[in-house]
Amino acid sequence: MTSFPLKIVTPDGLIFDGTAEMVTVRTVEGDMAVMARHINCVVPLGMGTAAVVTGGERKIAACIGGLLSVNNGECTLVPTTFEWAENIDVSRAEKAQAKAQAILDSKKDDEVAQKLAEAKLRRALIRKNVAEQYKG
Amino acid sequence: MAGVSTKDIKNRIRSMESTKQITKAMEMVAASKLRQAQNRVLASRPYFEILYGAISDIAASNRDFSSPYLKPRTGGKSLFIVIAGDRGLAGGYNSNVLKLSLEQMEGKESVVLPIGKKALDYFRSHNVPCHTEAYAEAAALTVGDCFSIAKDISNAFLDRVYSEIYVVYTNFVSVLSQSPTAMKLLPLEHTARASAEGVHMDTVYEPNAEEAFAAIIPEYLGGVIYGSLCESRCAEQAARRTAMDSATQNAEEMIDDLTLKFNRARQAAITQEITEIVAGSDA
Repeated sequence: MTSFPLKIVTPDGLIFDGTAEMVTVRTVEGDMAVMARHINCVVPLGMGTAAVVTGGERKIAACIGGLLSVNNGECTLVPTTFEWAENIDVSRAEKAQAKAQAILDSKKDDEVAQKLAEAKLRRALIRKNVAEQYKG
Repeated sequence: MAGVSTKDIKNRIRSMESTKQITKAMEMVAASKLRQAQNRVLASRPYFEILYGAISDIAASNRDFSSPYLKPRTGGKSLFIVIAGDRGLAGGYNSNVLKLSLEQMEGKESVVLPIGKKALDYFRSHNVPCHTEAYAEAAALTVGDCFSIAKDISNAFLDRVYSEIYVVYTNFVSVLSQSPTAMKLLPLEHTARASAEGVHMDTVYEPNAEEAFAAIIPEYLGGVIYGSLCESRCAEQAARRTAMDSATQNAEEMIDDLTLKFNRARQAAITQEITEIVAGSDA
């Protein structure tokens, strides 16, 4: 399969710099895959699972926020957070999930806190989900 | 030696020595913190370069539609996000960045969003109104906080509360050099390079250009704020290390000086005693 240059950078550093055959991400409108010779594009990302295929091997990760851009055949993924499945701390995600759930159940606090808890819950669920997919 | 007794000099040497110990310890703490902060800055730099590149390409290729983020406005208030430290004893670190922000604010109706206790105190005493004081502690700020600041200020910008948004921070050039910098965040300006080329007109935006822009800009701002915070923190430690290093050196010089004086005074006292004894035995 034809490969293309791919860069993944987050505020924590350069996570991936090399060539890939395919990259799949969850955008704000649904899943999207990029392969070699993709048209130039800019897409904001949502929250979900991302997959990178390099050398026939598929690696998955939890990818949240940011944007994906393809420019003259070079693909750049700039997410807010990006964690490979094997690096995800499941117990931490579970703790975050329980904490967020408790805030949502209590139904007190202001609207902002509720929304924040909801977003935190979603992130925790995505992390857990990705970790489970990796194991299973 | 006339006037100064050996006891006084001894006391001064002792107090100078304890000062030296403190500055030495502070220097060492700053050096180890600096190493950490430096790693963080180096890790995060590619992110900002790429993000900045992507945003300026988008801004340049989208002259056909008018996003409110791109349109320059006249009049109205300007918001300054000023990043300084929580503590002093860091050489000119705090005063340089605060001086620059005052310069930038001149002639504008300004509101400030202070990050760092020193910034908060400074603008309070200068009677500059604050957008929020929630982020006063620079050391406690996380990536998440940066993104909530970004969301907050981009909403305020869209609601026309502010017509311009700047960030004033300290750029970490090297361990020995840090330069305070002011950067315009909003409205976005076309970079000369990208608009001259105008090549990326065939870029596809999902779902559409405006919506993509509206989703990406707050992310971009969050990234830039986090980046400037990393740079500032690193610069603060570097400045403190240098300041404490020179304080330690000054203390050492003073101790040397005082030791010399002390020895002279001791010598003088002995000489005087001998003279007295000799004079006594002669008589």
